[in-house]
Amino acid sequence: MKNLIFILMLYSISPVWATEAKLENIQVDTSLPTVERGVDGLMNNCHGCHTLKYIKYRDLAKFGIDKKKIDEWRGDQLLDAPLASLMSDEAAMQSFGLVPPDLSLMTKAREGGASYVYSYLLGYYNTPEGVTRNHIFPETKMPDPLGISSATEPAQRDEISKTAHDIVSFLSWAADPHEQERHRLGYYVIGYLVILTLLLYFVKNQIWSRLK
Amino acid sequence: MHNRVIKWIDQRFPLSSFVKHDLTEYPTPRNLSYWWNFGFLAGFVLILQVATGIFLAMHYKADVTLSFDSIQHIMRDVNYGWLLRFMHATGASAFFLVIYIHMARTLYYGSYRAPRELMWWTGQGLLLMLMATAFMGYLLPWGQMSFWGATVITNLFRATPFIGDQVVVWLRGDYGVGDATLTRFFSLHYLLPFLIIGGVMVHLVALHTVKSSNPSGIDLAAKDNIPFHPYFTSKDFYGLGIFLIVYCIFVFFLPNSLMEPANNIPANPMQTPSHIVPEWYFLPFYAILRSVPNLVGGVVAMGLSVMVFSFMPYLDRSRIPGGARYRPWYRVTFYLFVVDMMVLGYVGYIPPTDQSIVMGKIATFFYFGLFVLLPFISKKEEQWLIRRGLPPEVEALVASEAKEKTRLPHQRRSGDIK
Repeated sequence: MKNLIFILMLYSISPVWATEAKLENIQVDTSLPTVERGVDGLMNNCHGCHTLKYIKYRDLAKFGIDKKKIDEWRGDQLLDAPLASLMSDEAAMQSFGLVPPDLSLMTKAREGGASYVYSYLLGYYNTPEGVTRNHIFPETKMPDPLGISSATEPAQRDEISKTAHDIVSFLSWAADPHEQERHRLGYYVIGYLVILTLLLYFVKNQIWSRLK
Repeated sequence: MHNRVIKWIDQRFPLSSFVKHDLTEYPTPRNLSYWWNFGFLAGFVLILQVATGIFLAMHYKADVTLSFDSIQHIMRDVNYGWLLRFMHATGASAFFLVIYIHMARTLYYGSYRAPRELMWWTGQGLLLMLMATAFMGYLLPWGQMSFWGATVITNLFRATPFIGDQVVVWLRGDYGVGDATLTRFFSLHYLLPFLIIGGVMVHLVALHTVKSSNPSGIDLAAKDNIPFHPYFTSKDFYGLGIFLIVYCIFVFFLPNSLMEPANNIPANPMQTPSHIVPEWYFLPFYAILRSVPNLVGGVVAMGLSVMVFSFMPYLDRSRIPGGARYRPWYRVTFYLFVVDMMVLGYVGYIPPTDQSIVMGKIATFFYFGLFVLLPFISKKEEQWLIRRGLPPEVEALVASEAKEKTRLPHQRRSGDIK
């Protein structure tokens, strides 16, 4: 117990910033076609190891993603099943020494948000010794999922960047599925409040004008 | 019919006289500026927090294995659960913003002076309860920052003399922050707001005894007071509209800007986040805590930094009216204090570096220095102002109000200084 406060103080004096490299700022696009491509990209590149426990196949269907594709992805799993990874926790521990983190909230759980995840996915490079490293998160245990480190052709790199952008867009939607609804409602609520406040202002002036 | 019902009630409960005394005939200085809106706004946010909180509690589960999931259940599956949660989380920030402005107004205009010391002290008690409620509420999502924030802060009670370790275990209900801590924090987070409502009642009874202060700092005679309703109800509702627009911009468009990313990772006692920060409203006090190298000293300094406001009625020894308005030295002190708060907030936010630690120490020293020097500053300033004379319009106001009062002594408001 006594050591704990010491350790905490030590941590508070010598923080390790996770992100030293510059993030590439992106705008995510949570429209249906992008998100649909994003799920596709995730299923092919991430789903092997990562789970999205708060997203069910039914949520994808509700959002409007092609039913046939969903059935393909889920196989014999229920529509109410979450997007669970194909790898067991034990197997992951054996291969990587940790359980790959859940991705449901990933774009909200890192400083930099979606831009962080995007830059991280594209941050892999090969050292002259032939070791693959990551600029954004040097201690990562994840092998380069999209193959950006070995892609040399500009067209190929563009293609990978696009896939990363789609995946990150899907993850942004998954982290905050009510965002579009929230914004839509927000315009109405604030519009209503602006009119109401104007009226209240006139009421106030009217009442105060009775004073000499 | 209507009158008969009212009469029936009045014979059993002082309804009409209450409405008269506290609303329709409650005398309020007509010169109050918009800075006097924030007490009403604080009351509104309190109701908002209780209302959203009650509904959130219907879906929330206080259990270390379920809490994080139940928040996601609220955010994703509960009808408008996201709205409830964002309103409640944004509401906490709004509450502190409104309260801090309310306090700054009191400090600027010297509203804490006689006869309003009890208002200031009940307010101080309310601030402490608000801080405790906010702190305990922050544990409930059971994210990384929730867990580590609670761990760091409960650990501070180790500074208690002789029984420090036992106090920490007693607070947590366990050796570390765990299920026992979460359930008791939930229980107290639900209880405290109702104690705050009780405290607000006391605060309001005191207010309606001494009546509102006003920007001139002089107790105004009856002719310059107007009934609270409809004048200040209409003004407060207009202010509420402005407040709600700002609040809703955050709720609907920027709700995540007030949340730490690390709190979207479930609590993990095995992994310390690289940088533990409290919510923005605790940052200046957190910076003071960290600026003192020794644990006991840091805790005492932090506690004192919050409680020192209580001493204001005694630290400010000037009798010049109008708070900072007619007191140039006090005005400078006030603005220096605000700037110092900002510096402390910044120091509390960034991960400590050699420079920021030095900066924090200087700002902490400055923070307490201003309070320590205030008796001398205010006394010297008073002598200087008396030698120099107040601005003619203030002199004229003081004279006319004094004359008004001697002419119509029965029209004095209760609580006015004789």
